[in-house]
Amino acid sequence: MTVATYRVIGARVRRPRNRFQRWYQRNEPTALRLVGVLGFFILWQVASEAGIIDRFLFSSPRDILAAAAHEVTLPRFWGDVRVSATELGVGTLLAVVTAVPLGIAVGWYRRVALAGDPWLNFTNALPRAALVPLVVLWAGLGIEMKTIIVFLGGFFSLVLPTVDGVRTVERQFLDVARSFGARDRLIFTSIVLPGVVPFIVSGMRVLVGRVLAGVIIAEFYAQTEGVGVMIAKAANSFQMDRVLFGVLTFTLLGVIGYEFVGVLDRYFHGWRPSLDGEEEG
Amino acid sequence: MTEFALSARGVQMEYRERHSTERLLAIENIDLDVEEGSFVSLLGPSGCGKSTFLKIVNGLLLATAGEIKIRRTGQARENAMVFQDAALFPWYSVLENVAYGLVCAGVARREARRRAEPYIELVGLRGFGHKYPYQLSGGMQQRANLARALAVDPPILLMDEPFASLDAQTRELMQAELLRIWNAARKTVVFVTHQIDEAVYLSDRVVVMAARPGRIVADIPIDLRRPRQLDVKLTPEFAAYEQRIWSLIQQPRAAPDAATA
Amino acid sequence: MTRLFPPYSTAERLFYGVIGFVAVIGVWEAAVQSGLLAKALLSYPSRIWTVALLDFGSGAMWPHVWTSFEEFAYGFVVSLVIGIPLGLLIGWFPRLDHLLSALLAGLNATPNVALIPLIVVIAGLGLQSKVIVVFLSAFFAILVTTYTGVRSVARRHLEITRSFGGSRWLAFRTVAIPSTVPFMISGTRVGAGRALVGVVSAEILAANTGLGFYISLYGTFLDTPRVMLGILLFGVIGLLIGEVIRLLERRFDAWRPSIH
Repeated sequence: MTVATYRVIGARVRRPRNRFQRWYQRNEPTALRLVGVLGFFILWQVASEAGIIDRFLFSSPRDILAAAAHEVTLPRFWGDVRVSATELGVGTLLAVVTAVPLGIAVGWYRRVALAGDPWLNFTNALPRAALVPLVVLWAGLGIEMKTIIVFLGGFFSLVLPTVDGVRTVERQFLDVARSFGARDRLIFTSIVLPGVVPFIVSGMRVLVGRVLAGVIIAEFYAQTEGVGVMIAKAANSFQMDRVLFGVLTFTLLGVIGYEFVGVLDRYFHGWRPSLDGEEEG
Repeated sequence: MTEFALSARGVQMEYRERHSTERLLAIENIDLDVEEGSFVSLLGPSGCGKSTFLKIVNGLLLATAGEIKIRRTGQARENAMVFQDAALFPWYSVLENVAYGLVCAGVARREARRRAEPYIELVGLRGFGHKYPYQLSGGMQQRANLARALAVDPPILLMDEPFASLDAQTRELMQAELLRIWNAARKTVVFVTHQIDEAVYLSDRVVVMAARPGRIVADIPIDLRRPRQLDVKLTPEFAAYEQRIWSLIQQPRAAPDAATA
Repeated sequence: MTRLFPPYSTAERLFYGVIGFVAVIGVWEAAVQSGLLAKALLSYPSRIWTVALLDFGSGAMWPHVWTSFEEFAYGFVVSLVIGIPLGLLIGWFPRLDHLLSALLAGLNATPNVALIPLIVVIAGLGLQSKVIVVFLSAFFAILVTTYTGVRSVARRHLEITRSFGGSRWLAFRTVAIPSTVPFMISGTRVGAGRALVGVVSAEILAANTGLGFYISLYGTFLDTPRVMLGILLFGVIGLLIGEVIRLLERRFDAWRPSIH
């Protein structure tokens, strides 16, 4: 008779941890993020000083900071900022104010949707930069042209998600409303409108990128005033530190913009329609 | 004395919330011996830890206390799990899915497919090897699920409510099928369910569990003759077992080792 | 979740699409011919068509189209080659994700056009700089969708590999990657669109050939019909690429993870 041998499955062993280990375990993501960002800048600075990368072409964090410190003392810089901010602010505002109502209209009225949809898709597929020369033909090279470009970018990034949002409505909500005899208007205000909000928020995310890009494209083309123009002119004279300072300004704006949308997203998170198959935990 | 295929002592599963000192005992204390070739059911309401215990045996979870002895055989793996939802990979054909367990064990793809072939027929899916999961009904997907576990030829088969997502008629058919396959393959089966009739119909022993904390409250041998047909469910003996177990579930205050005849 | 208006069949969509298209062309032409719409504003279909025949016929168009295509192709392919593996890696290894996420977010927040002067200084005005811009434009969409795909892998599927004793590497190969394929394809679609935008931006601002350059050049000549031709060509190309990839997407839709 053969003797049976057994494999033993034991229990989990609790290793003692000191305070640092416990803290690290909880905050690893943030710690790594910090390491990533700081590491990047440190490597950049070191590589630039050691000559591994061309300091002339790529500048270095220190140089950029020095250029920044200098720029903010110049009144010209603040003039540029004011111009860019106006373009950005007015264009975005106009876009939001027109895209949402129009999107809702296109989504809600069937016939408008049928005719309008392919054209919206077409113009959406169109690279906006291609429209710049056209807009210049209409509006010249001034601040109006630039604002229009910003507006177009924002408009198209918001209108399609809005249309989508109106069309995608929970059937169950509709059934409930109809069974209580709600008329179209009530359905619209109490179900469809709140339902659109999450889609608008996700459209906002695209909008942030598009409006910032709009400012830059328009300013590069027009070469009059603005932070974008500063970047272009600095590049022409090979002042890479100023170039990167300008670029990083836009990066900062972009990060702020996305964070803001993130806040909106979290605020309205509960309003999102539930997707089949999406299970939490 | 029969050899035990599986022997658990003092198994405990404790969950601790990350930022608090709250402890949740999913499983308080489990002592269980499973004889080789027997069919044992773990029966209980949600939260009694039956699936958790199964996962510990399978190796997906690590217990916080206690130990489990599993009889070593020639095989690389002594146990294989049949999951509740078929969870077949949509990008593999039925045959490739059934062969997957072998691939995980290190068998080369072609060889794995060759070895998996007979199991497709065993579970009654002949001719469906080249179909894809979306072309199969729920019951058929579960058969494939079963075939995958059988293909690695494990001495112990762990089944986690495998028929829970099926409709009533299919479930009954699958129960009968399972017994047929078990008779042919002669494996040790640990079967988790919350359905009393299912447990009584299938098993040699029904281990009744209770929740909060998870523990065993009774261990009931089922003396119905084998091979069992589906109509045994209509007999008074069957009903008596069901009644007994039902009252045990309703009064879970019984001590862990109350194994009454 | 059901749609308020049921999706139309492809035939229906095509039918209404064509009608809509023809209708707009018709109205456009009529408006201009009747004097309602100024010729210089958007030009008009018949004129654009004439100019198209002229420039394509003379062969002047093809070098531009070819250059744009080259820039698109190289840049897009590179963005796939780097974006997909990187997306898979940062999706699979959370540590890598945390390490790189802030940097990638910063790169994403920067409008690519802002980087164009920088790229031109570094890489000149030729093909290389455009390829870099196209790459940057497409890269992020591809990266993020692939990443999302990996993170969306059904936990149960990974559990199965573990249950049968498979290695993490096997799980990556046989579960994560196939499961992510539908997302990769979506990302490719979005990325292609972005790549196209990149081509245009780069060419309009810093080039001497290419379709974007064509548009910008004739813009300075106030040649509206040619400007419109260029714009329309871009639009059509974008639509076509989008539709082709969408077909591919539908083919692999069944691979998307969903727990029953």
